[in-house]
Amino acid sequence: MGKKLQIQSTSTCDVLIVGAGGAGLRCAALLHERRPDLSIFAVTKVAHPQKSHTSTAQGGMAAVDPKDKLDHALYHMFDTWKGGDCTSDQNVVKKIVEGGWEEVQWLERKGIHFSRDEGGGISKRQFGGHTVEFGKGDALRAVFVADRTGKGIMDTAWGEALKGGSRFINSTVVTELLFSEGCCVGAVLLKAKEGEFVTVLARATVLATGGSGQVFRITTNCRNNTGDGLAVALRAGLPVMDPEAVQFHPTGIVGPGILASEALRSEGGILRNKDLEPFMERYAPKMKDLAPRDIVARAIETEIREGRGIMNPDHQTEHVWIDLRHLPDYVHEVKLKEVASFFKTYVNLDSRTQLCPVRPSNHYHMGGIPTNEHGEVLTAENVVVPGLFAVGECACASLHGFNRLGTNSLLELLVMGRCAGERVLSYLKEKQTPAPKGAGEATLALFAGYLEAQGKENVARIRQEMRELMTRKVGVFRIEAGIQEAVASLIEFKQRAAEVAISVKDMRMNQELLERWELDNLLDNAMTIAQGALMRKESRGAHFREDYPERSDEFQFHTLVSMTEFGKVGFGRRPIDMGIHDAKGEHYEQFRIMPRKY
Amino acid sequence: MSTYSLTLTIQRYDPDRAASWFQTYTLDAGPILRFVDLFRKINVEQDATLAWASSCEHAQCGSCSVNVNGRPMLACELLVENAVELFGTTAFTIAPVSVAPVIRDLVVDWEQAYERVHRAKPYLIEPKELPPGMTEHRISPQELARYEEATRCINCFCCTEACISGNRNFIGPNAAMAGIVRMMDPREKEKEERLDLLCSEEGIYRCHTSKACSHVCPKKIDVAHFIALAKEGAF
Repeated sequence: MGKKLQIQSTSTCDVLIVGAGGAGLRCAALLHERRPDLSIFAVTKVAHPQKSHTSTAQGGMAAVDPKDKLDHALYHMFDTWKGGDCTSDQNVVKKIVEGGWEEVQWLERKGIHFSRDEGGGISKRQFGGHTVEFGKGDALRAVFVADRTGKGIMDTAWGEALKGGSRFINSTVVTELLFSEGCCVGAVLLKAKEGEFVTVLARATVLATGGSGQVFRITTNCRNNTGDGLAVALRAGLPVMDPEAVQFHPTGIVGPGILASEALRSEGGILRNKDLEPFMERYAPKMKDLAPRDIVARAIETEIREGRGIMNPDHQTEHVWIDLRHLPDYVHEVKLKEVASFFKTYVNLDSRTQLCPVRPSNHYHMGGIPTNEHGEVLTAENVVVPGLFAVGECACASLHGFNRLGTNSLLELLVMGRCAGERVLSYLKEKQTPAPKGAGEATLALFAGYLEAQGKENVARIRQEMRELMTRKVGVFRIEAGIQEAVASLIEFKQRAAEVAISVKDMRMNQELLERWELDNLLDNAMTIAQGALMRKESRGAHFREDYPERSDEFQFHTLVSMTEFGKVGFGRRPIDMGIHDAKGEHYEQFRIMPRKY
Repeated sequence: MSTYSLTLTIQRYDPDRAASWFQTYTLDAGPILRFVDLFRKINVEQDATLAWASSCEHAQCGSCSVNVNGRPMLACELLVENAVELFGTTAFTIAPVSVAPVIRDLVVDWEQAYERVHRAKPYLIEPKELPPGMTEHRISPQELARYEEATRCINCFCCTEACISGNRNFIGPNAAMAGIVRMMDPREKEKEERLDLLCSEEGIYRCHTSKACSHVCPKKIDVAHFIALAKEGAF
């Protein structure tokens, strides 16, 4: 038996940022610029901030250039509102869209290597769902760094945080939020490398822990996206908002799940089933392979469910084919160079001569820890939690509603990172709260429980079964009986998880122990997703119920799910802000509740 | 061939006992499984205690660098069938990279490796002011093309691992490149401080031009080209 667990040390800082991806470090950079005297701790689960999931974003970042005569912020707001299936908060949409170009300028001044046009200006490209004049034409609205925009943003943000003097606490996770008299006053961390629990007291705490894609078997998300921040918030009695709003990209590459861009289809790629039939003709006779993401994803899932998929023996994953063989070499070598190289690297296939395996892949969680437009975390009663902020994918303000447009997530994480930073500054003037009693006791009890547990179960096996279950029952298609089965299975998984014995007792980089804790986080996330999906008896954006295929005005609200005890959920509702519509300004009628038809 | 019978000999380290040893695992795997998939398979089927590092698992973060039969590579993009072809064997010895201390098994302390990159100041030390009346700098695509390749670096440290110039005296190819990029970037005003570091005792003249860096770079960046430019002062 190992040593008794204890809190090794307590330190203090002005601002504790948990999660050092794009959102967290944009917040840190703002704080350094405005208040160089502040001490800022930036905690990251990965080995260094540059390893964050933000670095994997490919295509671009949406932002309306005020110099652009054709585009207008109002058009971008409309696209976001419509794309989100009329479930975004309009005050948030307005704020983020209007703040976009300022972020582009900030990045550019700080050294990001944006792709350039012939005149030396910042290049822009078109992206799905982004239009001018309320859907009349395509908008050139996404700035980009070749095919690695997220990496460009990440490199700039960590460079600035480093320059400003952030103290990076790497390979570290948050296990508990600390409160005193209703205010968040810091957190308990597990420094995985050292195997130490520490308490950090902070005048403000910002959660920027990222997504929870590992809940699903096939995902574009990195190994570390296990929804830790959401789980920790749930355990603190806070709700999560719209957990059921989960986006699936139609064409993930079998194996790593990474995105095979939409460009494959726009360049003429054809989806085929095991009989090589170009099946999209049956689902979308007019648009065929160019139909919107969710329609294509459901078509592929249907083919697979009805036995017309193909099983990949190595990854034990069913898929369909994308046929690119008829496209000219120029398209493979120039226009689709990156994706073609992904097929070569990860499945060892030549897209010029061979069919390539793809299937829907979990991509983005629109929901998260509820916040207002300043990034302040809200309780189930919609009251601000003093001292606690959330930004990035772990948060839900909500910009994306029930379906996110491509390139809007990078925009969101930058603008919200900055706005939360500004809010932190005004909050810091107000408060300094002392340390709470009993800090860390819950964490130590939880981990001691993991280390002492006996049994023959295996974390990786339970996790694998859970991810498979969620993909099949609470994925692209959802139906009452299926979700109920999933809920019952999740409860079983939770019971089985209690019978995992951890063989390594030493705390340093104890992967077994960390994955055991992650499993609890994944199960919490999975449960809230399933419960949200069960409650929402309608289809909205990325949430599709086979038994309720239409959107219903009865559900025109944000879901709030609370769960302090596994499986026992409480529901709340948050109204959807209609600020742009209600202000009755020019074109306000475009911001009414309307059908999402393209 | 539908599956391969593989022998993986993995260098392990247990910090509790300060013990290091080689452990051999035999497993069957399909041709397009990646080495990270093999590690995961070992965790599920054979040994939950084996610790290994990865994050994005598609060559964008550089967390999973390991030595496979002595060659530094990203475990996330090494397919079984490619490894068999490259090395002409189904037996692989996997060791952690040596550019940073090992914490457990294949997991190294990247923070210590990154210290070199931090020393090279991976940001604009003093950004140039915008020209009057402009809201952004103008950089022509041709100018950007001179150094754009180098900005693709993910700091996986495979180059530093392979560098024959001894990774202790030389700041290392990737860290040097972080400085070189900003020498070439027209938005950087503080060139003097950068030159001082690049020409210091641990700077670019430590490089013996073996070009091992370019040879092993998973991102196929011609690292040696940038170091050569710097040696000539051709920023």
